[in-house]
Amino acid sequence: MIGYILTIEQYEQIQGQFYAPYEFFNCVQDINDVWFLFLSDQDKEQIASTEWSWILNLSEGEYIPKPSPNPADETN
Amino acid sequence: MVFVWGHSFLIMILSTHGFIASSIGQFDADAVAFFNRVTTAGGTLSVTEQNAVNTLVIQMKTDGIWTKMKAIYPMVGASAAACAQNLKSSSFTGSFTSGWTFASTGVTPNGTSAYMDTGFSINTQQASANNYSHGFYSGTIGGGPATKCSMGALTGSSESDILIRWAGSNFYANICEQVYNNAFTNSDTHGFYVANRNTTNRTQSWKNGIKVIDVSNTPTAKTIDNIIIAARNSSTISNYDDKRCQFAFISDGLTDTNQNNLYTAVQAFQTTLSRQV
Repeated sequence: MIGYILTIEQYEQIQGQFYAPYEFFNCVQDINDVWFLFLSDQDKEQIASTEWSWILNLSEGEYIPKPSPNPADETN
Repeated sequence: MVFVWGHSFLIMILSTHGFIASSIGQFDADAVAFFNRVTTAGGTLSVTEQNAVNTLVIQMKTDGIWTKMKAIYPMVGASAAACAQNLKSSSFTGSFTSGWTFASTGVTPNGTSAYMDTGFSINTQQASANNYSHGFYSGTIGGGPATKCSMGALTGSSESDILIRWAGSNFYANICEQVYNNAFTNSDTHGFYVANRNTTNRTQSWKNGIKVIDVSNTPTAKTIDNIIIAARNSSTISNYDDKRCQFAFISDGLTDTNQNNLYTAVQAFQTTLSRQV
């Protein structure tokens, strides 16, 4: 999956910030601990004319996730 | 403004300015309150959606389920503003992260970073871990087994979630424990899934109104972290899901009759909206 690549400063700037009354940015780290942001097409339309529009100009890259935890394996 | 052209124009003007009250006589008062919350938030609902919600509320009251509900997210209105609103009350208004797609068919997370925070903590809101229920209506057909959490939270060894088709094709529905002895082999990922505790030290689960799990296990503690939709809320958010959510609820524990009636009402709701699975 392709996402916007963030520096640590950019991550700290946007993480948890509301860009709409009921929507906030949530970033995730990839397997190499690089911060990514994923926006839906609707998100992109929403922020295109806001203070967050600079996000749309960030570099994009392929996101490789960290392994998902599986508590079922740990308890069985 | 003086209305001289009759009843239909009066209704039109009132409807474009929100619902004044239930005095119109068409809708249940709690349904109207929800419509007004959606409007105030900047969302809109179609007439079909309003009628479907109204019928759902009336049926839940008739069935004696309404008073047990704490949060109901009917996922109508095709916007974050509308879908964040709790049908039951003005409490537990949701907040969505980036990465969702909103449509008349429901709300779809990206499976990578998107979730919705209900603001509901079992530890804070429920007097007993043995009196709690939550459920998720998935509109995603054909999903394979994966470590994806449709709704839930994990605090230490207290896990409360719905895992529709986990690794090994198991459906798990833990409430305030982490025993994982409550598995049902699930061959698909669509339908209405409910996890429930209404009896001391027993966990039950239903798929589409049919009880698929009924086991003895003891809660470890009430889960503290907020229940979120489309991921698991723990020290870090994990196990992001990509299933389309068409309805979600949080309530006190339900009886078998409650749950059967709830499924019937929710399925009728989805059918009215032409999105039943």
